[in-house]
Amino acid sequence: MDEGRTFKQHGFTITTRKLPILKAGPIEEMTSKLGIAPPEMIFGDNVARIEYPDKNWSIEFNAFDALDRVDKKGTELKVAYSKEWHQSRQNHSDDIKEVVKPFDWSYSTDYKGTVSGAPAFEPTETSIPLELLKRPDPILFFDELILYEDELADNGITMLSCKVRIMPARLLLLCRFFMRLDDVLFRIRDTRVFVEFGTCEVTREYLAREEKYEAVKHKLMMQGETGPEAMRDPNRLANLLPIVDGSLEKLVLK
Amino acid sequence: MKESNVVHIQAPVTVVGDIHGQFFDLIEIFEIGGNIPDTNYLFLGKERRERLMIPESHADFAISVGDYVDRGLFSVETISLLTCLKLRYPSRVHLIRGNHESRGVTQSYGFYTECSRKYGNASVWHYFTDMFDFLTLSVVINDQIFCVHGGLSPSIHSIDQIKIIDRFREIPHEGPMADLVWSDPDAERDEFSLSPRGAGYTFGAQVVKKFLEVNSMNHILRAHQLCQEGYQVLYDDRLSTVWSAPNYCYRCGNLASVLEVSDKGERFFNVFDAAPENESFKEHQAKSQGTEGVVTDYFL
Repeated sequence: MDEGRTFKQHGFTITTRKLPILKAGPIEEMTSKLGIAPPEMIFGDNVARIEYPDKNWSIEFNAFDALDRVDKKGTELKVAYSKEWHQSRQNHSDDIKEVVKPFDWSYSTDYKGTVSGAPAFEPTETSIPLELLKRPDPILFFDELILYEDELADNGITMLSCKVRIMPARLLLLCRFFMRLDDVLFRIRDTRVFVEFGTCEVTREYLAREEKYEAVKHKLMMQGETGPEAMRDPNRLANLLPIVDGSLEKLVLK
Repeated sequence: MKESNVVHIQAPVTVVGDIHGQFFDLIEIFEIGGNIPDTNYLFLGKERRERLMIPESHADFAISVGDYVDRGLFSVETISLLTCLKLRYPSRVHLIRGNHESRGVTQSYGFYTECSRKYGNASVWHYFTDMFDFLTLSVVINDQIFCVHGGLSPSIHSIDQIKIIDRFREIPHEGPMADLVWSDPDAERDEFSLSPRGAGYTFGAQVVKKFLEVNSMNHILRAHQLCQEGYQVLYDDRLSTVWSAPNYCYRCGNLASVLEVSDKGERFFNVFDAAPENESFKEHQAKSQGTEGVVTDYFL
């Protein structure tokens, strides 16, 4: 298989691999391993990885591990017109009552990456230094890739994607889960991995945001946004969604 | 408008799946599949792309199975070309309605935005979505192959039940018309099941078998689902999915296909890759915006 792009900086090796969506055979294999049907667009061969070979330590982001954290028992989420749909069905005398193995079909995941090796992440109070990341330092390496995407049968979108940028002294990786269930709910769950090369410190921040669709629509309208474009742009939406969960952790590789 | 909800045609015919506004790839289809009116076409909906060829010699039909618009960059061009072809060759080109040929869905998935951007207002979108209400729901080839965008419905056992649907309306959320454009096969089941999403059905092997028996047919041909290989055959060759948008959304890296049905009813998937014009268009855009090779994404 194609090994992807790699970049080495201060003892760290960063790899990104972007390949086409999986074929029918691998999808079947994944379905049986996961126990749920994978999303419509499944980039099962894609990966974003940060390694520190000296310590045999790595963190990587891949679709399988992310989907393995999706609730396989079910979800409260229903499409907006579900109630109406069920009511109209009662008028017909069909006897279809079986729901296909219920699972979280929005593919919401709290995936924070797959870590191997020691040391483990420990909770910290020191947040990621945004000021350093806002500086226009040269970007030596940049890549972005999708792990999975589903259009929720045209009821919105759900997508898990990664971006990474490497500057001379530090790097930032963002793994973002974005879901819009039309007329129901928005979710953004961000995992940021920040590496300060000089000190070999790795910080991992997880922030889950969530807000009802109507509330977001109202907030956008108050800001003069009425078009559908903003509803598709997680960067535009993130600050409109209150934080509902989060964690901040750190480890030092020296 | 005079077309029935079930149009009967004779092979040879080329059947096209989702295109989703990928215009360059639609043009490619006409290159590999033959020009209209030399080839008859059936479009199964959601067209994103298309390529027009000059008439040559022998004549077949073309059917497209819906989903002509949304997601690709050229929904307007795609649906305009297909509409012209339908008007010019009404009995050779057939356009089946897909779930994206609706007012609701096109507002969220790009066609509305594209029309507003290209024309400065929404009237073109209004005209096209009004036209969508007239597209037929299904085609039967040689009395043997049933073509529809999504799949089967628990309220429909016989083809005659499709003929009595009032299709001249927005696609509803429920009922037989919704099921025909929305439902998906589920190879792990025998019967109809409810989708975990809280609306919609999946249909299994026995449902397909029964439907084919009742209607004396041997195959169901539909679109609606992305396949990496460009097509997928299920249920002992009783059902196929044809997908005609290569490198879907310009990032999936998948193949696409059109299905050629011979006069004897033999089926052949003609598989193809994304048209090179997609790449050159992208490069041209990057150049004109001066963003070529520059990374300035200081994301946080």
